[in-house]
Amino acid sequence: MQVFVDANGGRRVIARLVSLTVASGLMVFAAVVGGTLLEVW
Amino acid sequence: MRRAPRLHWISILLGLLVLMSVVSFHAYTAIRPESVQHAREHRELPERTLALAFHGGPDPKWTPRLLDVLREVDVKATFFVIGTQVTRNPEVTRRIADEGHQIAIDGFRAEGDHGNPLNLAFAQAALADVLGAHTPLVGAPAEVDSGDRDHQDIGTLVRMSLRHGGGVVRLHDDGSIGADITRELAKAPGYRFVTVTEDRLVEATATERFTGAVTTWSQRNGGIVLMLLGTAIAIAALLGILRTLMQLGLAHTDRRLRRESEQSPPPWITPPVSVIIPAYNEAVNIAATVRSIAANNHCADVEVIVVDDGSTDGTGDRAEELGLPGVTVIRQANQGKPAALNTGIRKAKHDVLVLLDGDTIFEPDTIGELVQPFADAQIGAVSGNAKVGNRQGLLGRWQHLEYCAGSNLDRQILHALRCIPTVPGAIGAFRKAALTDVGGVSEHTLAEDTDLTMAVTRAGWRVAYRQQAKAWTEAPSTIRGLFQQRYRWSYGTFQAMWKHRGALLENGPMGRFGLIYLFAFHLLLPLLAPVMDLYVMYGFLVADAPLAAIVWTVFLLIQTASAGYALRLDGESLKPLWAYPLQQIVYRQLMYAVVIQSLITALHGTQLRWMSVRRTGLLTDAPGGTVHVT
Repeated sequence: MQVFVDANGGRRVIARLVSLTVASGLMVFAAVVGGTLLEVW
Repeated sequence: MRRAPRLHWISILLGLLVLMSVVSFHAYTAIRPESVQHAREHRELPERTLALAFHGGPDPKWTPRLLDVLREVDVKATFFVIGTQVTRNPEVTRRIADEGHQIAIDGFRAEGDHGNPLNLAFAQAALADVLGAHTPLVGAPAEVDSGDRDHQDIGTLVRMSLRHGGGVVRLHDDGSIGADITRELAKAPGYRFVTVTEDRLVEATATERFTGAVTTWSQRNGGIVLMLLGTAIAIAALLGILRTLMQLGLAHTDRRLRRESEQSPPPWITPPVSVIIPAYNEAVNIAATVRSIAANNHCADVEVIVVDDGSTDGTGDRAEELGLPGVTVIRQANQGKPAALNTGIRKAKHDVLVLLDGDTIFEPDTIGELVQPFADAQIGAVSGNAKVGNRQGLLGRWQHLEYCAGSNLDRQILHALRCIPTVPGAIGAFRKAALTDVGGVSEHTLAEDTDLTMAVTRAGWRVAYRQQAKAWTEAPSTIRGLFQQRYRWSYGTFQAMWKHRGALLENGPMGRFGLIYLFAFHLLLPLLAPVMDLYVMYGFLVADAPLAAIVWTVFLLIQTASAGYALRLDGESLKPLWAYPLQQIVYRQLMYAVVIQSLITALHGTQLRWMSVRRTGLLTDAPGGTVHVT
């Protein structure tokens, strides 16, 4: 078994969840802030 | 193979965009430009009616005094606020609203700059954060100028304010005079006071309040973010300077060692050698590789073992067809490079083993030079000098420069520190005893060469670098190929570092210097590099552009000089150096993308397998010119 390789897949699932949360969180953040500002109230 | 993770790139790009926006916004709010004049609409008020319109605030000192006077004389006024001032003085802004005065927007950074829609949006965001509301009244109508910016005499100011017998009077609340005129105007007989319009604040939505919180935070804390970025850059710069200092130290050591070696050259040794070539689908290159080994001028037996690791392109046949004496071809089912190497090591009959890849060309004296450090019984492994054989095009030149200025210079520094972490797969020699000590080549990492070298060092053997032993290797000729190769190297190096992390607590030089060196220059520096690019971009776009250009140029000059020095040490021409500054644009970003991708892959625990590089067989810069074997 190679170093770092996740044997049972649990870490991979958690990492994907974290990655997905961070990416979608940032996208929502950018969309809300950018969208609100560009609407010019 | 599972697909390598990719989602993090969205996060990184968006994260950098957000960071850039925060620091740029902070810089934007720090400047207060001149006021902007507008042609304003006339607002009809009944005769002898005054609407006091205050501009330039809210101000932390003068606005509260004005509010006291307004309360005292029982007059409601209109405050045309500036967005950045609202964020700076939230309490004063809240007091204006709480005491029933009308709040309108005059601008974001300066009086009257609301004409720019983004400024208006920022100003509304500031109000949304502080008051939880935004205002429909933007920009003052045509006003009667009180003259408070030009005159001091109260009598004059009152006369000027009342010269039309009513209307919207332009005043300012960012100085002491605003409160004084108000007190006098309130005494004027027969006048009544109103706000500019009847418009009242409109409650902000949740997204407006959130956006307001974000812009307010950016205005207040952008400086801290900039300071953190500056710290990251300082660390990166420090690492860069440290490396330059190491190079200077190396130059000194190198000169001393050369002098010593010229005075009393060590005896030339000629041990018999077994050369092991693991090969998987290397049909294009293998004949040239084996021929170059067979053409060696080493004065002892040189046994060549080609281990065909289940190739499907007839690699083994090509090697056999050559019919060269002393060349054995072993075929096995595909098991990976470490297994192929272990097969070769088991079959080798000599005590000194030379390991090389199936795409490498040796010079006639390479083997002889490579084994010289074994004169010292403590030496367990020797790294040769891998050179790029295809230097055509920008990508080839960049890799050539990187091999000299990066890998080989690193190796010289680490040689001086006695902790070379990698004897490259392209050219390396090992004592069989050292390999036996560590149980052969392990399959635990994708960088089996680094893993093996670290293991040999930890087993108590020393590793040497022989600059004169040159091997020419084919570098990837496409960006994609280069990314895949470096991804494997970088990920494999991290695997090896993690596997041998215990060395940090051991007494040997591997832990003391080797791992720390790899951590600093192969992990930390590439991770900090994007921040440096961001900072330079910020400097160019937002802050002091000439200063950013000077700092960037000085760094580039230092790096180019260092690369030139590395080329000279390697006995190479300085001509390709012109391509070095261009590396800053694509190549460097590609290299840190590799490190980030490797790190994320490690965190995900994804299994990566060997990613083979497409071979062309064109090593035009290797001795002998084009070696195209088909």
